[in-house]
Amino acid sequence: MSEKSRHFFRMTPLAAALLAVYGPVLAQSTEGSLSVGAGTWSNDRPQTGVYDGMRDSGGYGLFDLDVVKRDEATGTWLGLKGRNLGLDIREIKADWLRQGNIGVSLDYNRIVRDNPYVFNTGLVGIGTTTQLVPSPGIVPGTGSDVELKTTRDRLTGKFYKNLATGFDFNASYRHETKKGNRNWGRGGAPEFVVEPIDSTIEIGEAALTFSRGALQMTGGFYGTMYRTDNTLVTTSLTTLAPATTYYLSLPLDNQSWEGFLNGGYNFTPTTRGTFKASYSRATQNEHLPTADIPGLASPLAPQNLNGRLDTTLLEAALNSRPTRDLTIAATARYREFDDKTPVQQYVVAGAGAPVYNTPFSYTNHIGKLDATYRLPRSYSVLGGIEYNAQDRSVPSVGTLWVPFREKLDETTYRLGLSKSMSETVNGSVRWEYASRDGDDYTLPNNPANPLQNNINPLNISDRTRNKWRALVDWSPVDRLALQFAFSDARDDYEGPNSYGLQKGKAQNYTIDGSYQLSSSWQFHAWYSYDLNKANETTQQAATVTKFNELKETDNSYGVGIKGTVFAKLKVGANVEQFKTQNKYEQNIVGATLPATQVPTPDVNNRLTRIKFNADYPVQKNGEVRLSVIHEKWKTDDWTWMMFPPGGPTPWAYGTANDGTTVTSDPTQNSTFVGVRYVYKF
Amino acid sequence: MQTSSRGRSLSRHFLLFSGATLILLVATAIAPRLASAQAGGPPGPEVCAACHKASYETYIDHRHGMKADARTPAARGGCVTCHGDGTAHVKAGGGRGVGGIINPASRTLEASRKNGICLTCHKGDPSRLHWLSSTHAVRDVSCTSCHKLHTAHDNVRDKLTQPDVCFACHKEQRVQINKPVRHPILEGKVACSDCHNVHGNNPKQMVRGSVVETCYQCHLEKRGPFVHNHQPVTEDCTICHQPHGTTIFSLLKSRPPFLCQDCHASSGHPVQFAGPPTGRTTSPSQLGTVGRGCLNCHTNIHGSNSTQDSQTTGRFRR
Repeated sequence: MSEKSRHFFRMTPLAAALLAVYGPVLAQSTEGSLSVGAGTWSNDRPQTGVYDGMRDSGGYGLFDLDVVKRDEATGTWLGLKGRNLGLDIREIKADWLRQGNIGVSLDYNRIVRDNPYVFNTGLVGIGTTTQLVPSPGIVPGTGSDVELKTTRDRLTGKFYKNLATGFDFNASYRHETKKGNRNWGRGGAPEFVVEPIDSTIEIGEAALTFSRGALQMTGGFYGTMYRTDNTLVTTSLTTLAPATTYYLSLPLDNQSWEGFLNGGYNFTPTTRGTFKASYSRATQNEHLPTADIPGLASPLAPQNLNGRLDTTLLEAALNSRPTRDLTIAATARYREFDDKTPVQQYVVAGAGAPVYNTPFSYTNHIGKLDATYRLPRSYSVLGGIEYNAQDRSVPSVGTLWVPFREKLDETTYRLGLSKSMSETVNGSVRWEYASRDGDDYTLPNNPANPLQNNINPLNISDRTRNKWRALVDWSPVDRLALQFAFSDARDDYEGPNSYGLQKGKAQNYTIDGSYQLSSSWQFHAWYSYDLNKANETTQQAATVTKFNELKETDNSYGVGIKGTVFAKLKVGANVEQFKTQNKYEQNIVGATLPATQVPTPDVNNRLTRIKFNADYPVQKNGEVRLSVIHEKWKTDDWTWMMFPPGGPTPWAYGTANDGTTVTSDPTQNSTFVGVRYVYKF
Repeated sequence: MQTSSRGRSLSRHFLLFSGATLILLVATAIAPRLASAQAGGPPGPEVCAACHKASYETYIDHRHGMKADARTPAARGGCVTCHGDGTAHVKAGGGRGVGGIINPASRTLEASRKNGICLTCHKGDPSRLHWLSSTHAVRDVSCTSCHKLHTAHDNVRDKLTQPDVCFACHKEQRVQINKPVRHPILEGKVACSDCHNVHGNNPKQMVRGSVVETCYQCHLEKRGPFVHNHQPVTEDCTICHQPHGTTIFSLLKSRPPFLCQDCHASSGHPVQFAGPPTGRTTSPSQLGTVGRGCLNCHTNIHGSNSTQDSQTTGRFRR
């Protein structure tokens, strides 16, 4: 049975149930809209159609509905909302609520991801846990074209009941299946295999909430469950030579539960205290899939991980307005993530043995104080300080591949000035300074690789951060609104070791504007400039240091107009363009790069989207809606396609084996024309 | 063209006459209701409807307008619940702010005062218990900065339109969600509020207690625990990923091998030069840039459950 027909039949009982409930209702007086139509894309859209269920050219059904039935006497709402019902990414929600008393809802939502690339491959067994890589490899381009896709089907149910005045019960449950295939690797050889995905996520929550007078509290239970049908993928060459079999482990079933209690109390009309307390436990104790494979595990090694993660969160906060002009917010937070998985020896013999598992634990202490003081003429000044102390467990030497730190502290200072409550100019400017440092590094001290000691890892390196942000809204006249935004963040990384990130920079300048041309026409436009830059030092060879400057520059804009052409015809048009450029500059100190080392070329991406829509009423409650969209995607991304310097030749996996190539059209143009009839109840 | 003084005088008289007629008509229309309001307390919604028809109609169609629910404004006095006693406002013939009428959407009203009106009823909602400690509250963002009440469609409560509301202030994210690698935000499948509770005070305004716990809502397989855990994965996904959108596959912040070389120095292929190979190769020293980069071989980078020897497991290859 095809996937399409399977989903059709799965949806049929749901549709029948909904019709049984809503059929009679639709016959009564209702509010809402029903939209039916069709549209067509002129060309395939591998890049822009990744998530919208319309990757391929051709026709699509357009079907949306939104029905609400309200009963004033009983306070009852009955709703049915469907979106994209003619597409693969359909979603539908039904809910019934007796407001302030009891309610229930059911929501189905499908999320599809179509991989934008085409994989030309000779791989056998795609979608299964046994895959064979061709050996000898295929001649690149002579395999089968494979398009990879993952699909999530999510069903969410919610229940609400008011138990007494100010006393509510809420429960929710989500069941989500994820199926499909993701591009992967053989793990140890540059050969293409796919990760078969067939898993389920379940999340449930139940909470009691109490709110009366000055006291509010909520407490309950939150649980999660991950289940997978695949735990191991066995890959071999088609020669089936035993030494060529690689076993790829997959994430195993895990589950968790959490108990929580949160609350707030207004001590006075201007002083409020709140707290949070939660404790959770996640476990993973599945049989390790490689434990039974001869040669991959010692009989002396454990067969299960006995994994256990305990997380404790405690927080108290106090908010007060001691004077008319002063507001204070103080928070103290403690979070402990304790990986209680026992450390055991999993690789007893073989290369590099012994090998132990590597649990990591963290404890965070956060103290935060913010104060706002209101000045005359609607100005306010804001000051704040935040201290974040993080303690970590350091893995034992031998399982440590990079320098590590047990303690890391960061202090952040904030200062801001804002103006509000004006009809013409409102805005704010803020400055933030953060300083992060820690204790001495614990070094890998690997005698076979002493250079492992020689880096400051980005997430624990000493760092100072200077950040500015300003936002101004200006409305000089009623018809015109302008907004200016600016942000600038600069990081400086330091440390006792030679390599790693040195500097980081992020900037954004944006201007937005809208103008009311007349009572029926409105124009808007925006422009954004973004810059992200990182300077890093890496080791090029035993005695050579390389400096990299990675820079991404984005220029984006949007222009739009909407209005009424004549009494009935409403139109809108919009143009947006997003351009990104990535540059990767690499230099060696005091020398030029060897001729054999060709630096990473720039990558340029450009997405242009032009939209036009028109609504024309053809009867009292019905209108025809025309939508036209033109998209253009252009890239010279060489990640899979060796543009410069090798020319437009796809890179191919392996040498003697495999031969898989990955391609995508660097220029994609497509136009959509859709017409729908919208009936309003 | 110059206007004569006589013409200006006629225009002035016409305006005065028109204004007086309009006031008279309005007064005639609302007088009976005003009388009833004066007799029995603040004016009810029907009085307000005489001048604020559109707002009234959206109010009665809203959850706030449901009288059967004892908690709603409709069951507790109507418009006065949020807008204050409108007696003086009505008596004065209306006007913006006249008679002490309160408009929670007004730009000129202090944010804490506006928010106080909403929190009277909503501070007990579990997601809003900690509002006063949230970044938005500390920075004087008001409920009405994002929510529109007197409308049939509050954009911020619809996944498809919600991002546009957030982009009113968060400009970088407007660009990021249009980058080639992204979450399905444009399609309304993932909304800002799936990851961020803007009414709460968790770090980075996450809906769960930490970044990783938030990501596990959809990526639960990454939680493990694994036999071999990759340290940054257990700490914070955003060390390597930019969830709003990037130009690198898998939402990576930077392209391999540059990203990996921000933590890993080592002799041999881990510190390889970043450049595409000139042809097909199996050399690990030339494979860190093309395709999945370092992940061509270190394929289980989020964690591994293999018990094979250390050449494969601790290095996340299988």
